[in-house]
Amino acid sequence: MIRLENVTKTYGTDIPAVRDASFEIAKGEFVFMVGPSGSGKSTLLRLMNRQEQPERGAVWVAGKNINEMADSKVPYLRRNIGNIFQDYKLLLNKTVFENVAFALEVIGRPKHVIRQQVPAVLDLVGLSDKEDRFPHQLSGGEQQRVSIARAFVNRPLILLADEPTGNLDPATGEGIMRLLDRINNTGTTVVMATHDQRIVNMMRRRVVQLDRGVIVRDQERGVYD
Amino acid sequence: MIARISYAFRETWASFKRNVTLTMAAVITSAVSLLLVGSTFLIQRAFDNLLTRWKGDVELIVYVRSDADANQIQVIEDALKSQPAIIDVSKLRYLDQADSYAEAQKLFAGDPGTLRLLTPENIPSQFKVVPISQDSNLIRELGEQFRGLAGVREVAYAQDVFDVVARVSQFIRIATTAMSIVLLMVAVGLIWNTIRTAMFARRREIEVMKLVGATNWFIRIPFMLEGLLQGLIGGVLSCLGLWGLNSAWSSAVADFNDTELAALVVTDGYMRFVMFILLGIGAIAGAVGSGIAASRFLDV
Repeated sequence: MIRLENVTKTYGTDIPAVRDASFEIAKGEFVFMVGPSGSGKSTLLRLMNRQEQPERGAVWVAGKNINEMADSKVPYLRRNIGNIFQDYKLLLNKTVFENVAFALEVIGRPKHVIRQQVPAVLDLVGLSDKEDRFPHQLSGGEQQRVSIARAFVNRPLILLADEPTGNLDPATGEGIMRLLDRINNTGTTVVMATHDQRIVNMMRRRVVQLDRGVIVRDQERGVYD
Repeated sequence: MIARISYAFRETWASFKRNVTLTMAAVITSAVSLLLVGSTFLIQRAFDNLLTRWKGDVELIVYVRSDADANQIQVIEDALKSQPAIIDVSKLRYLDQADSYAEAQKLFAGDPGTLRLLTPENIPSQFKVVPISQDSNLIRELGEQFRGLAGVREVAYAQDVFDVVARVSQFIRIATTAMSIVLLMVAVGLIWNTIRTAMFARRREIEVMKLVGATNWFIRIPFMLEGLLQGLIGGVLSCLGLWGLNSAWSSAVADFNDTELAALVVTDGYMRFVMFILLGIGAIAGAVGSGIAASRFLDV
């Protein structure tokens, strides 16, 4: 589903954020990217939906080299990739329903599809009763569930989660983790960057560890360290 | 498709309301600059009308001294008629003192000082000569010959007046064109800035849109519509202004119905053409300015 071949990415003239990274993620897999801040986890995720272009190497997603893809094709790539962030990136002037509906609206889905799919996905993340609330009326965990609903409403092949539990207390973070696990069980490939040791150790999934931009460990059913 | 169109219009309208001050500035600037563009067109056209009318008309006037006797006048007329190769004899007109005085009443209607100095007795009578030849040197040579005749007070070449008016018109053309280009650039810049501000205010939304896979055109179109609307409203305002100016001018000039000044008006047909052009320029400038602003923002 995702394959990186000797990928190097440098910001400015500094030392590379990612150096010579190669690995492959199969369809339906769940992978943790771990490592301290600045080790290149986020950069790897950003390379996977072409928010960044590498200096060297190639990134393949769903059988296509996305670095050679025309700019005009990138939106269609991204419709197959959901994104979740540490800071949720919700639109504060829109309700829960509208935030999720927005993701369908801007890719031109008709109203009847929106009316059908948004309640379904809100039900999946457990927010059916809060669809008219605004983000500031929700807890952090609930806001993250909205952002997961938005990322998943279009049934993407891949979900990229950048520190999704970073702003949450351990119990809430665990709830989010279980939700991502459930989404993974529907066949969606999930790549999650985190430095939350507890969660990684609890899940026992594949772990790719980074240190200063270099992959130092790639382990099935791994723990944080 | 309908969902997309209604989305674009909703967003355009919302953004329009959010940015009232900047929008007003952009609209007013484009209105003023387009008004200037329109005025340039009209002034140009009016001068062209005037010059065309003169071109086909009198090119040489032989003024006869007011104290010349009938014999001298006859000599001048015979001399003129003896040059059928250069002048159009059939169009030769003699205005006696009464006629000349009546004409002067109209010509100098706006200049009572000059008018007071003229009387039917001291005013020169005149031969209005329409040349056949296009060679202005030949005409000038002929004019010089007449200058030597007894009873001739002065020979005036319409070409000289024509040249002065043409130079003035040329100057006005350059000045108004330059001003309208500068103002138009200012207007595009202001529209550009309004759109950039509108996009900056919504950068979060745009980021999310890009991440969930909205195409750049989908994001851009509401902003371009907004710019287009600003340009178009500016265009409508400038058309109203221009129409007002033109009718005021036309009715002022209507008083000089029989003189050359009356040529300084433009027809309604041309006016409609200019208005159409102004709306077009406004719309295009607005759409292009905002399109550039939107593209630059989307690339970041």
